[in-house]
Amino acid sequence: MRFIILFLLLTSGYANAHQFTPTYPELEMSHIAGVLKAEMVLFNTRKDIRYYELNVFDEDWNPVRFAIESRVVPMEYQETKNITVYISKKELDKARYICSKSKILLTVREPSIVSSRICSKLK
Amino acid sequence: MKMKKLLLIPALAVTASTAGADIPITGFIESKCVIQSDTPGRFGNPTVDKLSTKAADGGVMPIVRYDIITASKYKAVITTPTNFSAAPSLSDTVDWTSTTIAGQMSDAEMSVFNTNKAIYNNGHTTEFDLVKAGSVWFNVTSEAEYGVGKSFPSGNYTALIVAECIAK
Repeated sequence: MRFIILFLLLTSGYANAHQFTPTYPELEMSHIAGVLKAEMVLFNTRKDIRYYELNVFDEDWNPVRFAIESRVVPMEYQETKNITVYISKKELDKARYICSKSKILLTVREPSIVSSRICSKLK
Repeated sequence: MKMKKLLLIPALAVTASTAGADIPITGFIESKCVIQSDTPGRFGNPTVDKLSTKAADGGVMPIVRYDIITASKYKAVITTPTNFSAAPSLSDTVDWTSTTIAGQMSDAEMSVFNTNKAIYNNGHTTEFDLVKAGSVWFNVTSEAEYGVGKSFPSGNYTALIVAECIAK
C-alpha cells in the first residue's frame, strides 16, 4: 500500500499543490525568554498563488497571538520556505492550530478559484 | 624501481577512493496532507438567471485533489461559494446550491469518505474524515441562481472554493 502511494506521489508530481508540515509540530525553547518556537515548512507549487498567510488558532478557532517574521509570506512557484512561529508561554495553553492559507490576488480572474488552507496541530 | 613503486601508492589510493565514491540521495516521507487544485472550474450559463459548474449546464466542475500520506491524521473540509468574490453589480439576491463528493480515488476503500461525510453550513461545507491514506479527488458542483425573472448582468464572475486540511 505504501509503495502504491509513494509511486503515485512520485509519478504524478505536484503541479498545483500546497504543502505545510509537520502535521504535529513540537514547540521548542527559542532564544527569547518566555517564548517558544515551532519550525514549519511551507512548499508552494501552485502557479496561481504567490502569497500565503499564517495564523495560530485555539481549539474553537479563535485567533491566538503569535509572532513571525512576516504573517504574509511571499512564495515563488516551487519554492520551499522554513518558517519559525513564535508563541508566548502565556498563550501556550490556548494555541492549538498553526495554519497556512493561500492568498489570492485581486487580479486573478478565474471563474472558480480554490483557496487552500492546511492546519497543523500542536499537541 | 623502489622509488617508482612508492610514488604509485598515493596515485592508486586517490583513484581507488574516487572510483568507490557513493553519492547518497536521501528522502523522508512524513505524515502530511497536500492540497492540489486539480481542475479549475468554470461557470456555464444555461439560462439567463443561472450560473452552474455542471457539465450538463455547460460548466466545468472544479476538482480538488488531496494526497494523504498517513491515514486518520487529517480531515478535509471543503466550503463552496455563497457569494461572488468578483462580479458586476447585482441588485438582487443570489441563491447558491452545491455538492461535494469524493470522486476518483487511489484506494476503493476511500469510498467510506462519502459514507461518513458531514454536511453543514446550509449545505455549503462538507467535512470528510480522511481515514485512508492515498490520493482522492473531490468533485465540487456549484450553482448560482439570480432573482426570479432576472438575468445575470454581463461581465466576469469569480467565486471561491475553500479547501482545508485540518490535523486531527
